[in-house]
Amino acid sequence: MKQLCKAAGGLYLALLYLFVAGPLLFVIATSFNPATSFPAPFEGLTLSWYTAILARPEFLSGAGVSALVAALASALAVMVAFLAAYALSRPGGAGGRGAMATLLASPLLVPQVVLSLAMLQLASAWGVGTGFWGLVAAHAVYVMPFALRLVLTGLARFDFAVEEACRSLGGGWWATWREVTLPLLRPSLVAGFTFCFILSFVNLPLSLFLTSPSTATLPIVMFAYIESRIDPMIAAVASVIVLVAGLATILLDRYLHVRLVD
Amino acid sequence: MSGARGLNWFLLLPSLLLLAVLLGLPLAAMLAQSLQPNVLLSFTGPALDNYGYLLSRPYYLQVILRTLRHAALTTLISLPLGYIAAMLLRDLSGRAGNLAIMALTFPILAGPLTVALGWMALLADGGPFLGPLVRAGLIAPPRLLGSETGVIISLIQFVLPFTVLTLYTGLRQIQPQLQEAARSLGASGAARFLHVTLPLSLPSVLSASIIAFSLAASSFISPHYLGGAGQLTLTTLVSQFIMATFNAELAAAAAGLLLVLMLAAVVGITLAIGRFIRP
Repeated sequence: MKQLCKAAGGLYLALLYLFVAGPLLFVIATSFNPATSFPAPFEGLTLSWYTAILARPEFLSGAGVSALVAALASALAVMVAFLAAYALSRPGGAGGRGAMATLLASPLLVPQVVLSLAMLQLASAWGVGTGFWGLVAAHAVYVMPFALRLVLTGLARFDFAVEEACRSLGGGWWATWREVTLPLLRPSLVAGFTFCFILSFVNLPLSLFLTSPSTATLPIVMFAYIESRIDPMIAAVASVIVLVAGLATILLDRYLHVRLVD
Repeated sequence: MSGARGLNWFLLLPSLLLLAVLLGLPLAAMLAQSLQPNVLLSFTGPALDNYGYLLSRPYYLQVILRTLRHAALTTLISLPLGYIAAMLLRDLSGRAGNLAIMALTFPILAGPLTVALGWMALLADGGPFLGPLVRAGLIAPPRLLGSETGVIISLIQFVLPFTVLTLYTGLRQIQPQLQEAARSLGASGAARFLHVTLPLSLPSVLSASIIAFSLAASSFISPHYLGGAGQLTLTTLVSQFIMATFNAELAAAAAGLLLVLMLAAVVGITLAIGRFIRP
């Protein structure tokens, strides 16, 4: 009976994981299929769809824009999230931490399409174009709560007594941060940056109304491509993204030992 | 401790400024725009006519109801599915447990756009699952693409990792000694679940419901790619207003409605589940 329960539980989890990861695995499989329509029965193995990406400069420049936006937005998010998380975690701080943490997580409740529209309409109310910085702003405010969550997790395991030790040895607050606090928190800061970077890099709806041809992010380029036609090349682009996301997942878990739940 | 308190405010200032300038200000501009007249409606603004227009046309009411139905169904289906998974994952230990949790963050990081591509292929009538069945004449073409079922399948898949992770965190915080105590008092497995595990896990059920509902209601990619123009939700309606009919004021009103509905849903869910949470 117990064996049976265990087997049923295992089967349930296997099916759930297949449901959750199946579409991604299928996209990867499709990217190696030489058939020109999508979806199509498998006809063999080819890497030609990957080389076809190289012939389309908009995908490469899109990846470049995405990487730059993601890097700037994540850096800004991690910096402000670190300061906030530090204030919310240090001993002797004020009450109302729960309320403050909830307030700082509020961007999560705003739909990304709405944030994109709001940023567009603020720019038009001011009579300026949204441009590159509007894009960075929308991405930064969206990823900030994720950085906050990861840095708070790191600070929960941080012993503030080591700061006292440093200060009692004559270190100023800046020296204490530079020599003690920041190095000890580096795994959560790097994890926060990595996580935010990926979330921003793959995000379509945040950029929806904010890009121009010169600031089109990779998901926007994919969006435009899919509007006109859909073929295995777009699956190859998606597979590259999945590969990067997979590497980041492993990096977060193995090297930094940080994850979303603990 | 007033110095420490002052320092705290100083440290919180950048994040609060970020929220005010990059979230509060844009939303205020959007709401202001939603009160302005436009090419379809002339009125002396600011007034609520755009909202009235959306709420009085059966077509737009359907869009609103569809958005709420998608979110409600996704929440109701993904919660029990995720709860069972979280309970099973809690019993996994060591390496297997770590791997299982890591595998759940993977689709989140890969992003909904890549996943939607997979669904567009998998749910197509000529796709790998349905194609052979249709060609063999076993089933009529189910036409899942462009249907509500297709959208909801992909929404559940998108939301499930978040639900499972949230419930898993909550379940792990319940002390195993409580189970032991209930067992030693003669409680059966079902009684232990009903009187110990379930009540103690309710706070995480509450957060998982809010997360699932908000993610589903605010999803753009699933309704856009799997529902299409015949299955508009408020998010895809906003993009139509901006990119196809160029009506920024109605777009702002539709976005404002979505925000209000989501806030109302969060309050409603909190009241509904919160009643059962013992302080």
